[in-house]
Amino acid sequence: MSPDDGIPGPAESAGAPRIGVDEWVASVEEKRERYSGLRGVALREWDRLPAAARVLLCVGLAALFPLVTSDGNVFRYGLFTLVYGLLAIGLNVVVGFAGLLDLGYVAFFGFGAYTYGILASPQYNNHWQAEAAIPVVIVATGVLGLLVGLPSRRLFGDYLAIATLFFGQAFYVFVNNANRIKFPFFGHTNLTGGSNGIAGIEPFNFFGYKVQGTRGLYYLLLISIAIVLIFLFAVHDSRTGRAWRALREDPLAAEAMSIPVNRLKLLAFVFGAAVAGFTGAIYATIATAALPGDYNVGLLITIYAIMILGGFGSMMGIFVGAIVVSSVPELLRSSANARPLFYGAILLAILVKIRPWRRLALELGGLIAFGFAVHAIASAAYPRLTDGKAIGSGLFARALDHWMLFPRNPEHIADVAYILMVAAIVIFPQATGLWRALLLPALLYSVMFVWENLLLQQIGGATRLILLGALLVALMNARPQGLFGKAYVEIV
Amino acid sequence: MKGRRGLIGVLLALSAAFAVVAAAYATPNRAAAPAAPAASGSALVKCGKTRTIGFMVPATGPAVSIGIQQAHWASYYVSQYNKTHKTKIKLQQEDTQLGAPTGTAEALKGAQALASSPNVLAVAGPAGSNEIVGVTKILKDAGLAWISGSSTRTTLTTDGTRTGYMFRTVPPDAIQGPTAANYMINKLKVKNVYIIDDQEVYSTGLADTVQQVLRNAGVTVGRDGVDQQQSDFSSVIAKIPRSVEMIYIPWQLPPKGQAFGNQMKSAGRGSVKLMGADGLFDSSFASVGSHVYDTNFPLNPKSKIVAGFRKQHGGDGDYFGAPTYAAVQVAAEAIDKACKSGSTTRAKVRAAIRGTKIPASRSLIGVALRFNTNGDLATAHKFGIYKSNGSDFQPVAG
Amino acid sequence: MNWSLFFDLTVSGLTLGSLYALVALGYSMVYGILKLLNFAHGDVYMIGAFIGWFALHALGGPVNPDFAGAAVLVVMFLTAMIGCGILGVAIERFAYRPLRNAPRIAPLISALGVSIFLQNSALLVFGAQFRDYQTFNLIGVKTYSIGNLFFSVPQLLTVVAAICLMVALTVFVARSRLGKAMRSTAYDREAASMMGIDVDRVISVTFFIGSALAGAAGVMFGLVFGQIFHFMGFLAGLKGFTAAVIGGIGSIPGAMIGGLVVGLAESYATGYLPQGSTFQNLYVFALLILVILIRPSGLFGTVVVQKA
Repeated sequence: MSPDDGIPGPAESAGAPRIGVDEWVASVEEKRERYSGLRGVALREWDRLPAAARVLLCVGLAALFPLVTSDGNVFRYGLFTLVYGLLAIGLNVVVGFAGLLDLGYVAFFGFGAYTYGILASPQYNNHWQAEAAIPVVIVATGVLGLLVGLPSRRLFGDYLAIATLFFGQAFYVFVNNANRIKFPFFGHTNLTGGSNGIAGIEPFNFFGYKVQGTRGLYYLLLISIAIVLIFLFAVHDSRTGRAWRALREDPLAAEAMSIPVNRLKLLAFVFGAAVAGFTGAIYATIATAALPGDYNVGLLITIYAIMILGGFGSMMGIFVGAIVVSSVPELLRSSANARPLFYGAILLAILVKIRPWRRLALELGGLIAFGFAVHAIASAAYPRLTDGKAIGSGLFARALDHWMLFPRNPEHIADVAYILMVAAIVIFPQATGLWRALLLPALLYSVMFVWENLLLQQIGGATRLILLGALLVALMNARPQGLFGKAYVEIV
Repeated sequence: MKGRRGLIGVLLALSAAFAVVAAAYATPNRAAAPAAPAASGSALVKCGKTRTIGFMVPATGPAVSIGIQQAHWASYYVSQYNKTHKTKIKLQQEDTQLGAPTGTAEALKGAQALASSPNVLAVAGPAGSNEIVGVTKILKDAGLAWISGSSTRTTLTTDGTRTGYMFRTVPPDAIQGPTAANYMINKLKVKNVYIIDDQEVYSTGLADTVQQVLRNAGVTVGRDGVDQQQSDFSSVIAKIPRSVEMIYIPWQLPPKGQAFGNQMKSAGRGSVKLMGADGLFDSSFASVGSHVYDTNFPLNPKSKIVAGFRKQHGGDGDYFGAPTYAAVQVAAEAIDKACKSGSTTRAKVRAAIRGTKIPASRSLIGVALRFNTNGDLATAHKFGIYKSNGSDFQPVAG
Repeated sequence: MNWSLFFDLTVSGLTLGSLYALVALGYSMVYGILKLLNFAHGDVYMIGAFIGWFALHALGGPVNPDFAGAAVLVVMFLTAMIGCGILGVAIERFAYRPLRNAPRIAPLISALGVSIFLQNSALLVFGAQFRDYQTFNLIGVKTYSIGNLFFSVPQLLTVVAAICLMVALTVFVARSRLGKAMRSTAYDREAASMMGIDVDRVISVTFFIGSALAGAAGVMFGLVFGQIFHFMGFLAGLKGFTAAVIGGIGSIPGAMIGGLVVGLAESYATGYLPQGSTFQNLYVFALLILVILIRPSGLFGTVVVQKA
């Protein structure tokens, strides 16, 4: 995964004249055209599908998910993916369509959750029907979006981002401490439950029919997503949709074309806020509570990661992004999943990166031989290094015992090895030619050593987050425009 | 070269998507058809030789320093148990990332992971009160009982929504708060107290209780809050009136308490008495000086269990994690009882936990472990008061 | 007017402000050149604090240091600064350089990945416990008092060291050839590269300096407040970022003043405003919003003609 392949930067294409970044876009688009084989066909067919068919395909696939798996999996993988997905779709309107960097987005999500919580929980002795509560939530969040958006009109780019980021922070501090504030007219009221939040939020109650249980919520979310998506596809090519994109590309030019820039900005903002508020209400029924910590920076980062991974402005990419970001850490919760995933990923990376196959075979053979050699030397000279055992049972673990070093007390050795490994990975791309070929088996062996002796031990803790971090960096390196995104010129 | 980079991206994405689907299929939940999930708690589980207890703990995130103590104590119990019993216990650990900027979402997913693992018979944890509010529905629907070793919000057990499902091995705020307040009023005879909470659930709950009791007794009370992640207290300290005789800081992270104490000293206010709560019961807070007080659940530091633990952990008491030992103990013994016939249900385990009777001789806290109908400890009605001798906390007569 | 309270608050604000300023400088310098918000910056600061701690313990620990306290301090600062500098360069090389011409939001996610990675690597390798610098033993927390006014040695040390570093940086940027190259790269990267400036090298140097300053700030944090742990970068990063924006992101003097302003604002807010310490952050954010509404480019930021 050498970082500087692929995208020509100024350093590499020293010979070519490069002004601006249009050339980069052109190269990406040209690449897309050149795809051949199954992948090319699939991509082009996908492009040719009408928008409605794409929605149908994605939603249809998602609808099948609960039929093939247990409730627990639907909850852990499905529900959260859809909640994050719906949030990302709303955010995509604000950021991807209109180009407004809104970093206070999760506050709207939280606002929706709290509003619904106040309307339907024993804590406030309100038991509104969903058909009345949901519109109230959506309108209230939209109005809040309008209020936040109004003073932000003046702000551009990063400054808007900062203003909204602090709106988000302010929201958090407010709900966490609102029980200490003396409001004008009301005095002390326990508006948000303070740091205790609102507990016991009731499920949606549509005309007496309650939406509850994992499956019920899953389909409710799916239907909501389908509705929002269809609506957005309708908007996409309308006057408003086109104006939004013009706004994103160049607000100045858009204004010159007599596009009402401010109104459109506000519209996008309000729409995004309303979607977030609605999602918040759904999430409140999933969590059965509205807790202040749930609407903080961490979630914001997750949503942005989904949107950008999937591809800026691409609706379908969001689905894939949501699956990757919300499911990978979840899958890694247990070591039974983590080990095959890890070795699978390494193998895949080698298979893709190393050509021709003769070199590949040599490298793999080298790796295996290297392992046996190291193990033989260690067991002869320092038996302490091979005393331990691989985690888990099964053939693979027992085979590893004869190949990988397992020190009796791996703690300190593994800690040092981890730091050295990270350093080695950073330095490795500098090696070229024969060095690269020779060092690769040693590097891979050290990675596996650290994995088996340190990372796998901590799989429920730090490891899965470390892997998520590494995955984000690697994916961005591999496809900066996002998995499904189209590259576009950015004028800075 | 150019084409391949895109290929990697798509391959990675596809493999991730595929892996999700595959794992969803592969998860060993064959017993449960979608219509009748392991949920209800009535599904029969073979006990086998190894019994599984779910363990929800902050293994990453900002609160990991307390999570690690709970993890140490839990695994200490398991190692002791497995040494002396024919049947074995396994902990299935789920990270909740308590206090992380992602909120309780991780706790929800972790709880669901436990709920849908058919082998899990009971849960130790989770640590935080808000986490419990969040996971209640999931665990209850799955018929799982959970025993928390650190959530102290009083209403969790008294509001009736968790009766029969939630138990805790740590007495609630309603007991700890008044103990601390009465000690200040009656023994230390202070007239002017300043309370600083760390804006987290645990802390605000205790602070409110203590504030109430002190006010009622006519003590002058000042109140303030700091961010749990904050390390600089000098401006808060500057604000504390000179007339204050005692500062109550019911915080969760002992090193923060230590930092506060040290910064008081640097500000020339080292003589003002400090009092923490069980969250700060640790030698690092005690090291601030002999003007430091604390309340803690009635842990008997001389008990054999504590001594054995300290020996294994290089002298560290990790006291905050001790009730988690009791939680795992309750779960393990209840499972043993429910498993007499070779198979059991989660409902039977719940009933066994409700009927827990662990005699004082095998209990950490020096009195028998029994639960009242709410799920609170029936026996531990008193918190102990401790005073630092400059390096460690020593019990004083309350 | 309660002068003793005012003095205490000022000392506290200046100490905190110097730390924020050092962190903010890294944000600001990188933003000035790359227009990139380096989210991983706070975590570099955290690593710096840990490197300092390990240096301290390699030299015999705070109770029985191998050399005099002052020498130990110098070594701690140097190792932390160099270590973090290298780390910064590596991060840039690995996570940002491949994305140089990608959409601007892509490096944000890469930065986020680096931040998650560093934070949890620290948890994995250094453990979950707080580590204590035990400054009391090392340099003795002598508290100086003038009447009722108190300040301690580490506080003084922090403010002085931060000022020295900032002066050195200002001189470097204003006088040296490399500094000149940095300024011209920040002004217009393409033009600079056409003038024969090795832009990649300039960016590496920028990352080195910014990260080294963060490393120094990490050690200072450890000295003043004692406790370091793996999650500490998050809050510091947020505050440093605020400071950079208030000062005018991209401006070096702006970052310094911004840091001090945020530190003092926090301190005075805690002391004087209702529920100050609870809503401290809120007050600081309100100040921030006020600043960018009145002067959208920050206190010292240059007004750019908006093209986008």
